Amino acid sequence: MKPAHPARRTVCAALGLACAAALPFVAAGRVLAAAPALQPGADPLDSSRWDDMRRAFFADAPVVFDDRIAVTAPFSAEDPLNVPVAIDATALGAVREVLVFADFNPIVKALRVEPLAAPAAFGLRLKLQQSSPVRAAARTADGTWHLGGAWVRTSGGGCTLPSLGSGSAEWQQRLNEVGARLWPGVGHGDRLRLRIVHPMDTGLAPGIPAFHIETLEIADGAGRVLVRAEAFEPVSENPVFSFDLPAGIGAAGPLRIRGRDNNGNLIDAEVRP
Amino acid sequence: MHTPLRSARRPRLLASFAATAFALAALNAQAKGVSDDDIVNDATITTQVVTHGLGTKGQRYSPLDQVNIETVKNLVPVWSFSFGGEKQRGQQSQPLIHDGKMYVTASYSRIFALDATTGQKLWKYEHRLPDGIMPCCDVINRGAALYDDLVIFGTLDAQLVALNKDTGKVVWRQKIEDYKAGYSFTAAPQIVKGMVITGNSGGEFGIVGRVDARDAKTGKLIWTRPTVEGHMGYTYDAEGKPVDNGISGTTNATWPGDLWKTGGAAPWQAAYYDPDVDLIYIGTGNPAPWNSWLRPGDNLYSSSTIAIDPDTGKIVWHYQSTPHDGWDFDGVNEFISFEYNDPATGKLVKAGGKADRNGFFFVNDRTDGKLLNAFPFVNRIDWAKGIDLKTGRPIYDEEKRPGNPFAEGVGEDKKGKVVFNAPSFLGGKNQMPMAFSPKTGYFYVPANEWGMDIWNEPISYKRGAAYLGAGFTIKPLHEDFIGAMRAVDPVSGKIVWEVKNNAPLWGGVMTTGGDLVFYGTPEGYLKAIDARNGKELWQFQTGSGVIAPPVTWEQDGEQYVAVVSGWGGAVPLWGGDVAKRVNMLEQGGSVWVFKLHKS
Repeated sequence: MKPAHPARRTVCAALGLACAAALPFVAAGRVLAAAPALQPGADPLDSSRWDDMRRAFFADAPVVFDDRIAVTAPFSAEDPLNVPVAIDATALGAVREVLVFADFNPIVKALRVEPLAAPAAFGLRLKLQQSSPVRAAARTADGTWHLGGAWVRTSGGGCTLPSLGSGSAEWQQRLNEVGARLWPGVGHGDRLRLRIVHPMDTGLAPGIPAFHIETLEIADGAGRVLVRAEAFEPVSENPVFSFDLPAGIGAAGPLRIRGRDNNGNLIDAEVRP
Repeated sequence: MHTPLRSARRPRLLASFAATAFALAALNAQAKGVSDDDIVNDATITTQVVTHGLGTKGQRYSPLDQVNIETVKNLVPVWSFSFGGEKQRGQQSQPLIHDGKMYVTASYSRIFALDATTGQKLWKYEHRLPDGIMPCCDVINRGAALYDDLVIFGTLDAQLVALNKDTGKVVWRQKIEDYKAGYSFTAAPQIVKGMVITGNSGGEFGIVGRVDARDAKTGKLIWTRPTVEGHMGYTYDAEGKPVDNGISGTTNATWPGDLWKTGGAAPWQAAYYDPDVDLIYIGTGNPAPWNSWLRPGDNLYSSSTIAIDPDTGKIVWHYQSTPHDGWDFDGVNEFISFEYNDPATGKLVKAGGKADRNGFFFVNDRTDGKLLNAFPFVNRIDWAKGIDLKTGRPIYDEEKRPGNPFAEGVGEDKKGKVVFNAPSFLGGKNQMPMAFSPKTGYFYVPANEWGMDIWNEPISYKRGAAYLGAGFTIKPLHEDFIGAMRAVDPVSGKIVWEVKNNAPLWGGVMTTGGDLVFYGTPEGYLKAIDARNGKELWQFQTGSGVIAPPVTWEQDGEQYVAVVSGWGGAVPLWGGDVAKRVNMLEQGGSVWVFKLHKS
């Protein structure tokens, strides 16, 4: 299974947001469905960093590997600067927050999403420094973390390279510009796809400080916050996010996208249905 | 498939929550905010340095005397911290100290929080700069301001960033102006009555100088005051909408045509504040362009000291030290509040002192700006024969103004007559702040002796491009020195003592109750001098040139001294023939901290 077929991604780049609806959240199963019966505590992805990850993110909280949280990512990412990942945790019911991280990235944590009034399904693109498990951990109301994930093979170097944008003046003119569109009837309701102009520098490339989007909020026309997200350095340059929102969410007026980067530059955009 | 992990340990969760909550409460109690009282009393609270200038008056005097003329020989380094990276350019920051922590800015718009006793790094914020920034004089920064739980500093792309002082996370950020039009920011902000006061930089690009007051907690504008005559000042209502607050001066009174629209006069240094007379003092830069033939008139409020009422944002008085400047004599240097007894009447005078770029030391009444005294603090001044104490105006030598490039017979290259003038455009004193000791009554002035060849050329304004209309080259006046640390008596107008320095002095000065004067040299030394007689008592080699002002504070019964080291700034970029005296100096980027050795 190749959820993010190279050819398809080329088409996406050419058509921009118009192809957003065409990029599906393919049901997970490549790794987890094939996973053997587990020993308690054993990592189905068999990562030597798992113990570190558990300590860093979950401490003493209960953790389960759970195939109800689907992580879809390419088997092999030919562009380590833009690895598309889709997460669907809706099968778990109410989810408080979802963490996305990659065990072998120099900066492990990529995204934290709180689906406050939205289905727990979203997509992002991230940078991978080397082949790594890409995991999503969803915390349910009882405090339990449910883990899904997939190995992504890559040639690497994604996090320590200067952003492409840092070589051009474009980001300086268009910083935090948002392109977005709401796709009714896609995913678990309506799907919001958005792209923000931002270099998302990791701070690991020589001479370029960390510069990344920190917070993102999506609110409906009545001002109710639907999704709150916290982004970290590994999210791709000019990040593209998808968020599944309740069906008919655009009826109450334009959606509002607000956020901020770690330098305090504001993001503020409206999406008219 | 659900595979619980460590479920047997769940009871520990509660215990660990409780422990965390307790630790957080302890942390909150520990992290003190900086109050208005802390700020206005900073000059006398010896356990902190929370303002630029060791007090908002900017005297740079500390009453501490544990380190003194007897004990200074035992001053040894405690720690040193490297700013790291490949960004070792000029370091001009004055550190701030509060609650056992040091806040110090570095080149390329970086700021660090360090443990003040160990030098351990607590956090760093590195501002992402666009490629198109246009600082005239190196990628420096002169320091931060502290207020409540915020540490606030300006960036080279003309932004103001407020960070939580305990976490280093951005709390608010405001744009001062558009860097693409030539604006930048390098000064330390100053806190006055809960407002953060800033100027701007970019006088070489035809920007419009301006002083802004913002709510320090939110960054919202309260008032803004242009420093070029003709521009409207504003206050801001609750929605942030500008409300007219009167034009600065009278349009076209001292500027011809449209020249005031790109008039420069950038107040690119820190503002100072005297709570006693409740006035903000800030100096303004050169008028733009440098070519003075294009702008007949005094060109207010360029090259001036201006006093602003913090409550109204209006100019209360101004004193222009170089009317119709033609030599790049910015009037930005600090106007330091001090008192003296008038020798004739014995009356206490509320004065202010300023060592100007133009080579004269000015003493003004700080309540109304009236000129009280003016005398040279450098050996040679060509452009003026003196300052008329009655009119307050310079007595120009018109032969020393660069020739008119538009005059008949100039020739096709339109290059006006070249003149030699002292001081040079880098000034008898530049950005490095002087100090005043209420104990000796002297100002300690880091002076430089140099001249320049200067000529004028035609120029027209182009947004974001250099706007000079002049050419120049600097020449030292003496073989054995350019820099001279001078003790200046503001009442008698006499230079009491001097310590010569081969390279130009570019760091600031601090003086203490221990009768010491501390300053750094481009050659890398931090020096301690006897404040009374100029005797050199102590020095330490910091490994790179010092172009930043030292500070001192007391912690756990011990007096600490700190200075930032890192060669750069305007001299190596603009230094002409001076380059020979400085081109062997190596770059760096570190902060050094000293205290007395206990045997």
